[in-house]
Amino acid sequence: MASTAQPASSLKRRDVPVTREGDQLTIIPLGAGSEVGRSCCYMTFKGKTVLFDCGIHPAYSGMSALPYFDEIDPSTIDVLLITHFHLDHAASLPYFLEKTTFRGKVFMTHPTKAIYKLLLTDYVKVSKVSIEDMLFDEQDINNSMDRIEVIDYHQTKEVNGIKFWCYTAGHVLGAAMFMVDIAGVRVLYTGDYSREEDRHLQAAEMPEFSPDICIIESTYGVQLHQPRHVREKRFTDVIHTTVSQGGRVLIPAFALGRAQELLLILDEYWSTHKELQNIPIYYASPLARKCMSVYQTYILAMNERIRNQFAHSNPFQFKFIQNLNSIDDFNDTGPCVVMASPGGLQSGLSRQLFDMWCADKKNSCVIPGYVVEGTLAKTIINEPKEVTLMNGLMAPLNMQVHYISFSAHADYAQTSAFLKELRPPNIVLVHGEANEMGRLKQKLITEFAADGNTKVLTPKNCQSVEMMFNSEKMAKTIGKLAEKTPEVGETVSGILVKKGFTYQIMAPEDLHVFSQLSTANITQRITIPFSGAFGVIKHPLEQIYESVESGTDEESGVPTLLVHKLVTVKQDSEKHISMHWAADPVSDMVSDSVVALVLNISRELPKVVIESEASKTEEENEKRAEKVIYALLVSMFGDVKRDENGKLVISVDGNVAKLDKQNGDVESEHEGLKEKVRTAFRRIQTAVNPIPPFAS
Amino acid sequence: MGTSVQVTPLCGVYNENPLSYLVSIDNFNFLVDCGWNDHFDPSLLEPLSRVASKIDAVLLSYPDTLHLGALPYAMSHLGLSAPIYSTEPVFRLGLLTMYDQYLSRKAVSDFDLFTLDDVDSAFLSITRLTYSQNHHLSGKGEGIVIAPHVAGHLLGGTVWKITKDGEDVIYAVDFNHRKERHLNGIVAESFVRPAVLITEAYNALSNQPPRQKRDREFLDGIVRTLEGGGNVLLPVDTAGRALELILILEEFWAQRNLGYDIFFLTYVASSTIDYVKSFLEWMGDSIAKSFETSRNNAFQLKRVKLLINKMDLDNAPIGPKVVLASMASLEAGFSHDIFVEWASDVRNLVLFTERGQFGTLARMLQADPPPKAVKVTMSKRVPLVGDELVAYEEEQKRLKKEEELKASLLKQEEARASYGPDNTSDPMVIDTTNSHAPPDVAGSRGGGYRDILIDGFVPPSTSVAPMFPFYENNTEWDDFGEVVNPDDYVIKDEDMNQTTLHVGGDIDGKLDEAAASFILDTKPSKVVSNELTVQVKCSLIYMDFEGRSDGRSIKSIIARVAPLKLVLVHGSAEATEHLKQHCLNHVCAHVYAPQIEETVDVTSDLCAYKVQLSEQLMSNVLFKKLGEYEVAWIDAVAGKTENHDMLTLLPTVSKPPPPHKSVLVGDLKMADLKQFLASKGVQVEFAGGGALRCGEYVTLRKVGVASQKGGGSGIQQIVIEGPLCEDYYKIREYLYSQFYLL
Repeated sequence: MASTAQPASSLKRRDVPVTREGDQLTIIPLGAGSEVGRSCCYMTFKGKTVLFDCGIHPAYSGMSALPYFDEIDPSTIDVLLITHFHLDHAASLPYFLEKTTFRGKVFMTHPTKAIYKLLLTDYVKVSKVSIEDMLFDEQDINNSMDRIEVIDYHQTKEVNGIKFWCYTAGHVLGAAMFMVDIAGVRVLYTGDYSREEDRHLQAAEMPEFSPDICIIESTYGVQLHQPRHVREKRFTDVIHTTVSQGGRVLIPAFALGRAQELLLILDEYWSTHKELQNIPIYYASPLARKCMSVYQTYILAMNERIRNQFAHSNPFQFKFIQNLNSIDDFNDTGPCVVMASPGGLQSGLSRQLFDMWCADKKNSCVIPGYVVEGTLAKTIINEPKEVTLMNGLMAPLNMQVHYISFSAHADYAQTSAFLKELRPPNIVLVHGEANEMGRLKQKLITEFAADGNTKVLTPKNCQSVEMMFNSEKMAKTIGKLAEKTPEVGETVSGILVKKGFTYQIMAPEDLHVFSQLSTANITQRITIPFSGAFGVIKHPLEQIYESVESGTDEESGVPTLLVHKLVTVKQDSEKHISMHWAADPVSDMVSDSVVALVLNISRELPKVVIESEASKTEEENEKRAEKVIYALLVSMFGDVKRDENGKLVISVDGNVAKLDKQNGDVESEHEGLKEKVRTAFRRIQTAVNPIPPFAS
Repeated sequence: MGTSVQVTPLCGVYNENPLSYLVSIDNFNFLVDCGWNDHFDPSLLEPLSRVASKIDAVLLSYPDTLHLGALPYAMSHLGLSAPIYSTEPVFRLGLLTMYDQYLSRKAVSDFDLFTLDDVDSAFLSITRLTYSQNHHLSGKGEGIVIAPHVAGHLLGGTVWKITKDGEDVIYAVDFNHRKERHLNGIVAESFVRPAVLITEAYNALSNQPPRQKRDREFLDGIVRTLEGGGNVLLPVDTAGRALELILILEEFWAQRNLGYDIFFLTYVASSTIDYVKSFLEWMGDSIAKSFETSRNNAFQLKRVKLLINKMDLDNAPIGPKVVLASMASLEAGFSHDIFVEWASDVRNLVLFTERGQFGTLARMLQADPPPKAVKVTMSKRVPLVGDELVAYEEEQKRLKKEEELKASLLKQEEARASYGPDNTSDPMVIDTTNSHAPPDVAGSRGGGYRDILIDGFVPPSTSVAPMFPFYENNTEWDDFGEVVNPDDYVIKDEDMNQTTLHVGGDIDGKLDEAAASFILDTKPSKVVSNELTVQVKCSLIYMDFEGRSDGRSIKSIIARVAPLKLVLVHGSAEATEHLKQHCLNHVCAHVYAPQIEETVDVTSDLCAYKVQLSEQLMSNVLFKKLGEYEVAWIDAVAGKTENHDMLTLLPTVSKPPPPHKSVLVGDLKMADLKQFLASKGVQVEFAGGGALRCGEYVTLRKVGVASQKGGGSGIQQIVIEGPLCEDYYKIREYLYSQFYLL
């Protein structure tokens, strides 16, 4: 695309007096600006508005968990794009759809939509807030399902001239990075992404076009991940050692997303280690069990490896993993592996098991992901001597605690490699703790912005970022109008048709060929009572119009007059004359004047028209015209003199202009005056002479 | 100077032969579809063989034999080697269709036109795209964008949109505009006024009964047969319309709670359904919705049982049953065998759901009246026994020996040829680069040498004496000692993918092994055939479940798409001619129906050039909004852009723009106008001849409707007549308000 993105400061033609309002692109993070949680990013450009993600903040509840929706007018938003199903990216959607004035369209991928419903329904059920604090209920979720449209990876959609499509993001099943194209300016919103392929997901794709703006997550800031196989080896080793020593392994994990990856690892490890196969693996999450069918279905959204395995059997039909509904069904007799939610060990099944097992040093607890500050999981990472149980008693913490992160966010190496290849001129960081983000910004600036062409921005919530895009508009001239490509200086006239952000220029005759618009000709025929002689009309018309042609009607043989080459006046009968013409503003005006004239003549018919006046010499005419011009110029400019060459000298406030009456040339030092005199003269001339027909 | 477009049919015009067309866009050759029929007649592919090597890209539209059957053969025998594009379901189901075709053939004949490996390797080079994905071609096709769009008919079915320089070439065959149980219909709005539309006349003459009536008759017919104790055979394709039928049956059985067995019998039945289950995103809205809300996968079949060999069917409990079996043509596959078995029983029913391919058994049976008896060839692959086996084994042995002999001779030759000169040149230079090679590589090399020493060792003529291979150990040293390569000491990544994916490396493995085992078994076997005459006593019914748009819809869709040029392919001569005449009269002036290998040039005579709209110009343009369009009149001067040599339009400076004839833009419907006038308190009524009488004196007429060519209406001619009065100007004002004046 020919569009170039340039920040306002580097615009070259600043002096051009044109409005640039439409060229300003505004980005406002309504959430996840210098924080993690409630992702929501507002973007508007050329009157088109896009909202990316619509999450809640997991640390707050009720209205305070929402993004700052009151900063914007939801009814102006055209499209809302949801990147993936995590609560901090999708959970305020039912609220936004049902409780605000938002009337636009919502898009997400197929797997996201399927899991979104399950996840939010579960969220509504387990969240223990009062009814007033509830942002939405199950009914709202069901209603929202009807308004959500689905988009497949790479599929290009267009809404209101906003084009967008998405790429795989690697983070969880169905996660997408959205590329939005408004009038040739491209914005990439990564959502949460990972450039590392894992067991079931593809790595985030590299878009084939470089965006003008990249809104990118910065969760891990400048940290680096351990290589995946090292993490996996640690994970399987810990489990293997523990169970072979007769211990139990507890893996507290969020039900969806990374848990599936861990299950794949475990199932695979078990299938290659016969000695472990009599040791049960339990997966205790009813929600995840429900979602399993989604994982078993949307195989196409996963990586090549899973798809190949699918050729033999569905890899998500685990062989060694059993489901566990509640702790009552659990028969705690010997070594086993249990994966249970919640991931933070706040309460629930994972906590119950933790309480049971924490005192035995044979047991292990593997924490597989990002843990939130303030939860027990975060506490035990520091391996305290004692922990508080759910019943308030203290117990010694003897079990081994391992923190092995499988969180699928990009680390610094991935972010920097991604941006290096993408080379966006503007980078907006979101979704990261302020400190991490600050460090990342510094590092990115030293890496990319050294040449001054890249800007790195870290807006806080509700802080708007404005960028100017000098968008070059390209049009395609087609059809009859394009038969010859014009040389420089030649004029091009035609209809400019805009659809979305594409422009076409065409001749009016071609309008119906290249667009679904059609044109019309309106022929008007009007009858006027007139009882005088037909020939009488001609003369007064000639005084107004330069061209009045006499003729006879082909059909009836009655005399006609073609006025101004537009309006035909015809004698219909003794008492009536008729006029017909093709409607357009000029013809209408001409016809009106003819009507007025005819009516006038009917009224003043007795007056005899002096024939001789018609034959007034050209000279006389010219002399009269000259007089009129002079008089009018004097009335306009005041000081008008005639010089020796017959030119008129006009002085205004010390500025002098010389006007050549013959050809209308004006000489003057002062541009403004020159232009004024020229315009005035042109107008006077059109007024004093009969109106010439168009040279059409 | 529009984009040059040529269309050359290679197969499938003026008849119902498989589809295969060559579309060249600015000399980039697309092969759209690569079909074959159920006879696998290589003579059909002759035109293709002449151009196969010139083809730059292949686009596939449907996963059935008629649209992609020739692909493996063309890739392995005709020198076709271009990249192929299709949707994921077309790729996957097409592959399964070809497996099924191959296995059905191999079971009854010494089929050797292509092998399973050919099928695999042909499909391996397919690039998969999703619907409305704009794929930008690179290299020779720079500037061309291809995009598949929903076509209905079969899962993954595609209407191809090829775009170059803003001009669209649309290839739309076999599409269906109706929504079905598992598929969405075509969205004609995505293709408005393309430069070229290539479509087919296949159904131009057919008319379909209403769907509900047809469905009811279909199910009634089946149930009646079952209740009468008969069996129902539905000959179907491998992975196409069968899916829709399965859903219809499944739904009906659940509704009525019927106990009769339904079997879906193809060599790949279970994997077909497994894959189809994961293609929800390609199916219709209702299927996707039911999954999203209740996680009910429509293809989680409860009633239909999947079978992959006929033994299982024979072992099924005796009693009336419905069997969907491939192939639809009855030429091969399970349907053929079952037909032969069942045809002689009057209680049975053979229900055709699609028109049989020309010249096949199915087509013969669909004739009216149906033949009383048909001759069929029953073939069977039987293992060799007794003398034959001995003979075969001896033959094999002999062949093997010959081959060995040949190989060893060849090896000697080779050894002489390669090592001879190599050693003669300089025996000392033996791969010094290889000095760091890991031991296993060296080992294999060593083996190689040993081989030479044993039977091929010929001392080079120039060498003084035979010598053993010698490696120079040229390690580098610097101030700190030997230079080491840190990579050598890195603990090798356990490549997870390799260690865990040993389950099966072959990408398209999913064959139903049991079914294939017998056919693919290397056990010596032979094909025994015998001709027999089958008395056709069972009832035969044909119902249209093809899922294609019927004649009337095709016409209205073409009119809606309103192409500038139209190319008609695929369909009987009669249908093609009919549609051609219809389109000439109602759609556009350029309708072509080329013969095989006849190239039609459908380059648009459209002139176009690109200009930049300068900021100064645009800031003065006032757009008027008309639906999704915005229009404005511009007068501009051409100029050059600052940096590159593009034309730019600048506002006309100083001299006033030349006046232009004003244009009224808008589409006037008399009925709408009447309503509008009435709402303004004008007395209106239609007078004779389509004239609208407004008030007492003024009449409005629309004339020249004949200029309705080119899809959209041409320039409308409206006449307003009346005496000089106030009403006249008022009505004119109202009339004007219906238009935009430019």
